Amino acid sequence: MDIFFQQLVNGLSLGGIYALIALGYTMVYGIIELINFAHGDVYTLGTFFSLAILLGLGVSGEVHGFALVWVVLLTMLGAMLLCGVTGVLIERLAYRRLRNAPRLAPLITAIGMSFILENAMQLWRGPTPIAFPAVIPNPSLHVGGVEIAAKQILVIVLAVVMMAGLQLFIYRTKMGKAMRATAQDREAAQLMGIDINTTIAMTFLIGSALAGAAGFVSGVYYQSTWFFNGFEAGLKAFTAAVLGGIGNVAGAMLGGFLIGLVEAFATQFIPQGAQWTNVVVFSVLVLVLVFRPSGLLGEALPEKV
Amino acid sequence: MLIGIAVGRCAAVALVSALLVGCTSSSTTSQSSSTIVKIGVELPLSGGDAANGIPTDNGVKLAVEEANKNAPAGFSFAVDDLDDAVQGAHDPAQGAQNTKVFISDSAVLAMIGPFNSNVAKAEIPLTNDAELTQISPSNTNPGLTLGDDAKKLRTSHPDVNNYFRVCTTDDKQGAAGAQFARKLGLKKAFIVDDNETYGKGLADVFEAAFKKAGGTVLGHEHLTKNQQDFKALLTKAHSQNPDLIFYGGTTVTGGGLLRKQMADAGMASITYIGGDGISDDTFLKQAGSMANGSYYTVAAPETSKLASAKDFVTAYKAKFKGDVGPYSANAYTAAMIEIAAIEKAIQANGNKLPSRLDVLKNVAATKDFNSPIGKVGFDANGDTTAPILSIYKISGGKAQFVDQINLKS
Repeated sequence: MDIFFQQLVNGLSLGGIYALIALGYTMVYGIIELINFAHGDVYTLGTFFSLAILLGLGVSGEVHGFALVWVVLLTMLGAMLLCGVTGVLIERLAYRRLRNAPRLAPLITAIGMSFILENAMQLWRGPTPIAFPAVIPNPSLHVGGVEIAAKQILVIVLAVVMMAGLQLFIYRTKMGKAMRATAQDREAAQLMGIDINTTIAMTFLIGSALAGAAGFVSGVYYQSTWFFNGFEAGLKAFTAAVLGGIGNVAGAMLGGFLIGLVEAFATQFIPQGAQWTNVVVFSVLVLVLVFRPSGLLGEALPEKV
Repeated sequence: MLIGIAVGRCAAVALVSALLVGCTSSSTTSQSSSTIVKIGVELPLSGGDAANGIPTDNGVKLAVEEANKNAPAGFSFAVDDLDDAVQGAHDPAQGAQNTKVFISDSAVLAMIGPFNSNVAKAEIPLTNDAELTQISPSNTNPGLTLGDDAKKLRTSHPDVNNYFRVCTTDDKQGAAGAQFARKLGLKKAFIVDDNETYGKGLADVFEAAFKKAGGTVLGHEHLTKNQQDFKALLTKAHSQNPDLIFYGGTTVTGGGLLRKQMADAGMASITYIGGDGISDDTFLKQAGSMANGSYYTVAAPETSKLASAKDFVTAYKAKFKGDVGPYSANAYTAAMIEIAAIEKAIQANGNKLPSRLDVLKNVAATKDFNSPIGKVGFDANGDTTAPILSIYKISGGKAQFVDQINLKS
């Protein structure tokens, strides 16, 4: 039974990272129906920015006490801001002009953007994996026979908090209302006096900032990064978004955790399971889509009438 | 504008003549200036494998530079190196593409590489068809030279072997690892590999050898490509109480992170042994402080322990201002063997450019060749006749030579 709970913790913490990335995917899709393939790379960029900030602060090992709070906040907010700005720039440079073009054009542009970011990161920090300082002391909690690392709690809590914050933002603020209106009917929203460009830029800002937060957390969690990380993580996060119902914030979160759990349990309970994790994950995806074509929680896109 | 056209026309003529030469594979050589003989080098020179690829490439460059000081009259040697890394990792399709470039270039008389066994699988059928000599400094998968697997790679010329290697094979490397693990008193192993030709081959041999030496294998798992989180896998391994994790694969396919995450899974005190795939700086960086206490085998002798390698190490350090890579001396030796074979063939051909087959025959006949890694020769399969392996332990963030195993039998 201990093993079951240990794998539950493992799966939730892995899923937390997927969930954080999936939030950005789902937001962008929700508002302009674009699968932003560059999103996974913005997430990797988040680790690179965090690393640069940490090095700038002169942090190379564990930080304790009050300084820890400052370092974590400064690094995470810095990475979020830089990633957010990157996201807005990507939207401005690559996607805005194609907003009314056929669907395929922005999709291909997104793939191109992903390559550009990957190669830029390769130029910046070289092609080999890079070590990330172990900033956060990592004591383990022992609950029965289950070992829960502090970092794992951080990942899970952060994912839930971010999701809740995002939900509040979308349903309780004026800008959130503008986003929902834009998602529902762009032209009508414009006629009602909503600045479409600002609203969409805002979506990219928030979505990419969340990717930046995910980048920081994954850097702290794995203590390693490299320019190509975003590919696999982006793919899984996209799957998570589809699984939960793309465009649906709570769904992205659910999908992320679910994929993390499926991976952990498949590894544990299937003989030689580590090599079959992707097969199991995507089989679950296919099954869910067969019975619920719009994902577990359904597309929360306001229906177009 | 005029110049542009003129240059364009010249290029076109050159291209056509190059194509003609390529098709007829005749050896029309102009005696006006020195004829360039190219050694085609096929290695991962960018991406995660570059940490190994570049020092290996440097070994060839050094050999060619030295050979040029004393080249046969009218000839000079040149290195033509191509990169097989795509998206940061070695790629068999890119390797095959590079090999085709070498085959179509009539100045390439012999080839060195590739670094990775799965890339070699894609290349051997091509070089076998073209009868182009290929020496790998580092491919350790046994199936490249032995058994039915090797036959399947040589369908064009089953009777001609054109592929050689100066390193030993995984059946020896895995066996040496197993022998060493038993020597450390380890009994219960959990094996993980990266499901690639090299990693799985190494792990399978280790498993068999470890069982044969009286050890127990608790489990053998394969990783998925690009996997980053190994906690679930390590939790599974930990629940079976192993005293050893053996990893078959490279750092980039998971070796570094797997070792690092052993700390998070409460397995910091469990011994970790790998093959030469984790013998790079990236492993030290990625695994961080957890790298300490890991062991790995390298299918080559330790150059700093060999009297014969002293000159090589000095020359290498002077030229490249860096440390010798684990396969630099092997690449240097491979290049020396090819250059000697080419020189001999030039002489036999009346100081004219020899055919690739002439070079191949000379390479195949190599015996007791004096090199930095000792006396090297090839058996009928193209495998080295001097299977020496080294074992290293990482402590204080640096690899320390522990033991040398000679499996010559």
